[in-house]
Amino acid sequence: MMSIVIGLIGLAAATSIFWLVRRDQLHVNHALGWIIVAGLFAVLGLAPTVVDYVALKLGIAYPPTLALSLGIVILTVKILLMDIERSRSEVALHRVTQKLAIQEARLDALCKDESVSARADSEPDTNAISAHRQ
Amino acid sequence: MTYQLIKNEAPASAGKLSSPAIVIPAFNEQETIREVIAEVQGACSYPIYVVDDASRDSTRIVARESGAVVLPLVNQLGAWGATQAGLRFALAKGHDAVVTMDADGQHDPAYIEQLLRPLNEGLSDVCIGSWPERGSKMRTIAWKLLRAASGMKIEDLTSGFRAYNKRALHLLSGWKATYLEFQDVGVLALLLQSGAQIMDTKTPMRDRQSGHSRIFQTWRIVIYYMFHSLLLGLTKRPVKRYVPNRPSVMEPTP
Repeated sequence: MMSIVIGLIGLAAATSIFWLVRRDQLHVNHALGWIIVAGLFAVLGLAPTVVDYVALKLGIAYPPTLALSLGIVILTVKILLMDIERSRSEVALHRVTQKLAIQEARLDALCKDESVSARADSEPDTNAISAHRQ
Repeated sequence: MTYQLIKNEAPASAGKLSSPAIVIPAFNEQETIREVIAEVQGACSYPIYVVDDASRDSTRIVARESGAVVLPLVNQLGAWGATQAGLRFALAKGHDAVVTMDADGQHDPAYIEQLLRPLNEGLSDVCIGSWPERGSKMRTIAWKLLRAASGMKIEDLTSGFRAYNKRALHLLSGWKATYLEFQDVGVLALLLQSGAQIMDTKTPMRDRQSGHSRIFQTWRIVIYYMFHSLLLGLTKRPVKRYVPNRPSVMEPTP
């Protein structure tokens, strides 16, 4: 019964991943990792004796420990990678925010220059008038 | 007026500054920013760049009215993120040095030239205006712990009153420096690891005219800041201990 449940979980996970990629809600590069996870679920569901076999070879007395430990390790690595990616994204966001402020300051300066030159153009040229009068 | 050299391995980049600028990160400082800008304008003629760290008050309007160029951040990046925006802008504008100072009136613009002097003479890449006397008991303990963790000999680690030359500006404008959250341990470690020369000089500081420290305000932030900085200090700690070069104390100019 347990193997059927695990197999179904694998199938559901794989279907969800395909659906998320299809709806552009998950990048293909992230989907690759999850497809592997779904595949592992499927293998565990269809052939649960694989874990028993590997555990026996490694000298682990209680085989489910191997599956659970591997799961925890994979999840920890995944979370760590996510935090690394998040740090990169935060830095990129900070750089963009700074760049936006820099460009806004430049735009402000440009607008100020333009309004000064426009004012200068619209004002009568007093020198020209005085020169004309002479 | 004395200067203490923190590290002396590579010579500082060439001096003779031609166009320094002032960078002031500001967050909700509408009460003091006008006075601070006026004081800076009275003390020197360098352009003033105020980086508004997404203030909820009229800081940016007041700063603009006072004659400063304002860089408005759309997201709050913290004091270091705002300062770095100012450094990047100054570098893009072609300035060869920047003095950073707080917007709360603690730093006296009369000491700007004192900070720029070692940079101008090519003796240092960074000069920190330090005033350890301003430290409360908690701040003094924090400084001691951070110095012990990072192995740095800088007296006033958290001072925002600093002068950076072009070499330091290039170092601090990069992506690596954007990973940092605070301007003290991480920024100083990055500079030292890159071979920059750092000096500090005593610049008396005044009491904050308004607001409060963005770090030493609640226990939660203090604990986060301490763990963050201690971890950063330990990870960035050099294998070889920094030895302060005591004999290279500059004599005051007559």
